[in-house]
Amino acid sequence: MSTPISYFLVLSSILFAIGSVGVLTRKNALIIFMSVELQLNAVNLTLVAFSRMHNSLNGQVLAFFSMVVAAAEVVVGLAIIVSVYRRIRSVNVDDAEALRG
Amino acid sequence: MSASGSLWLIPALPLVGAGVNLFIGKRLGRSAGIFAAVLVAASFAVSVAVAGSLIGLSAQDRVQTQELFEWIRVGAFSVGATLRLDPLSATMILVVTGIGTLIHIYSIGYMRDDPRYGRFFAYMNLFVFFMLMLVLGQNLLVLYLGWEGVGLCSYLLIGFWFEKTENANAAKKAFVTTRIGDTAMLIGLALIAVKFGTLDYTVIFGAAGSTLTKSAATAIALLLFAGAVGKSAQVPLHVWLPDAMAGPTPVSALIHAATMVTAGVYLVLRMHVIFEISGVALTVVAIVGVATMLFAGTCAFGQDDIKRVLAYSTISQLGFMFLAAGLKAYSIALFMLVAHAFYKALMFLGAGSVMHGMHDHTDMKQMGGLLRKMPVTGVTFIVGALALAGVYPLSGFFAKDEILEVASNSGHELLFVLGVLGALISALYIGRLVFLTFFGRARSEEAEHAHESPAIMTIPLVLLALGAAGASLLDLTIHGALSTFVEPVVGPTPEGAAGLSYAAIVAISSLMVAIGLFATWFVYGSGKIDWLALRVRMQPAQRVLEHGWYVDNYYSALLVTPGKAVAAWLAYVFDARIIDGIVNGIGAGVRALARSGRRLQTGLVRTYALAFLAGAIGLLVYVGFRL
Repeated sequence: MSTPISYFLVLSSILFAIGSVGVLTRKNALIIFMSVELQLNAVNLTLVAFSRMHNSLNGQVLAFFSMVVAAAEVVVGLAIIVSVYRRIRSVNVDDAEALRG
Repeated sequence: MSASGSLWLIPALPLVGAGVNLFIGKRLGRSAGIFAAVLVAASFAVSVAVAGSLIGLSAQDRVQTQELFEWIRVGAFSVGATLRLDPLSATMILVVTGIGTLIHIYSIGYMRDDPRYGRFFAYMNLFVFFMLMLVLGQNLLVLYLGWEGVGLCSYLLIGFWFEKTENANAAKKAFVTTRIGDTAMLIGLALIAVKFGTLDYTVIFGAAGSTLTKSAATAIALLLFAGAVGKSAQVPLHVWLPDAMAGPTPVSALIHAATMVTAGVYLVLRMHVIFEISGVALTVVAIVGVATMLFAGTCAFGQDDIKRVLAYSTISQLGFMFLAAGLKAYSIALFMLVAHAFYKALMFLGAGSVMHGMHDHTDMKQMGGLLRKMPVTGVTFIVGALALAGVYPLSGFFAKDEILEVASNSGHELLFVLGVLGALISALYIGRLVFLTFFGRARSEEAEHAHESPAIMTIPLVLLALGAAGASLLDLTIHGALSTFVEPVVGPTPEGAAGLSYAAIVAISSLMVAIGLFATWFVYGSGKIDWLALRVRMQPAQRVLEHGWYVDNYYSALLVTPGKAVAAWLAYVFDARIIDGIVNGIGAGVRALARSGRRLQTGLVRTYALAFLAGAIGLLVYVGFRL
């Protein structure tokens, strides 16, 4: 007796929605970053859930890929945030507007 | 064959001199000139040896070639850097290196105080190299290399004192004017390459009769002749030569009298086979020659600048040579070329010596009585002038009378009469020059205190005067030594029974010379006539002649001014409005597009994220509906 797939999907949707709202509403770059991670992990959860449902390893492998990429992205993203902070003394994304058209 | 083995040395020696003087001429100081002169003299020595070896050979052995290396190969078309020694090129290299040596020696004295002494000799040596390539080439492309090379050196040397704008302009004018002819000549070369598949003389001369139709030969011959017209300053491309006198006087002597300007005559002689197939082309050559001879002769009479008189005189004499060539009297054209090289180089150097003594004044109105002040220059100059006028027994006499004889014998009465008229005009302008410059009383402070030039300048004058007199021996009759020597290349001088006897021709032409010289003596030399007053009375005519019949003005009205107008329209209307309009229009369009695109770029990361999300949802919805 396994947990129905819908549970996973609902949880994943909730996580994704929380992440999306975080990205859209917060100004602190670090929080936005965390929200993005939340979205990524919501997707990973979906992948693993479908993978189990179909009894295939493909989804899980893709989830691993996505984790590795996310880890790499964290490295680059944090480095950017640090250097932006050094430059403008702020992690508020609304202050980083030098590229505005 | 041993003679042709050392043929490459002849152009190589001046080339070495040019290279050395160009790079370290400044450090050589005074010795740059001596070095240059010695190299040309060495080249002359080799030329004498090589040319001497030809004399003993039978007629068919007198053409020798030496391939240095293959120059260009494109498919089956091949051009070699090949030299050709035959009686025609042998005569030319002797003139170029022999007179070149004397002029180099003279220049050591003449250019003594010039700040660009080394560079002058580098250019002079480079010129001699290119001129030798021109006459020694075994194919038309080597000739063309030399042809353009001498044009370049001419440009560099006319504009040698480029600090003065007019000198730089004269150099430009010479270059551009001769290029007009050169372009036509290049087309002629291309036509030959198409018709024969090669540019090699031996092949062309051998196959011309069977390959070329009459009209093809006419086209090629006239295109080549256009090049000759430019280079030899014939009407209508003569306008550059009088202005070219802006250069140092030895340059005028070497390039614009003795050698480069005769390249056109050489070209016609070299390619006479094609001209003869055409026939029409020969008539054109003769007509252009006669027209130039008369036209330039009258211009020479109106000049006050001693060098410009000589320049127009050169144009006129070159016309004489083309007349001879047009009458198929090639060997006599060559004889005239040699004789003219001697006496005209002599007179240019003499004029340089006069300028040297007169602090660079060239206006004959300021001269007078210089014979007593500068005896060597004066006497040698008069020898040259008499040779030009055609006084027995100097070289000009034989050259001119032989041309008249051929004209008369071959039944060209009109050309004969015009030739006699040309002889009269020659005597008039050269007599005027001599009497104004060397006789009468000194008409200026400078003429009063003129001094003779140093020996390094007068010795070449004496040697050239001996040459101008002695060149007669080369060709005393139309079947003289030189004519026989070059017969294997250019064929025998045509004979005809028509016309006057030789004695009658000599009498007529000598009478003309006597009339001319006496008339100028009476007006300018006797002191019986106030020629300055006469000049004022004749002013309209005098003005026309002085300005060379205003040909320059016609050209600038017909060609230069419209050309400038077109250029101005292209620059200020076509380029500025239309071309720039298109370019700026594209720029403005992109900018307008960018301005609207810029609104999307708010700088607020959340806006981007929202767009992201909206896009993702939109895609999902789309995919969902599709399913």
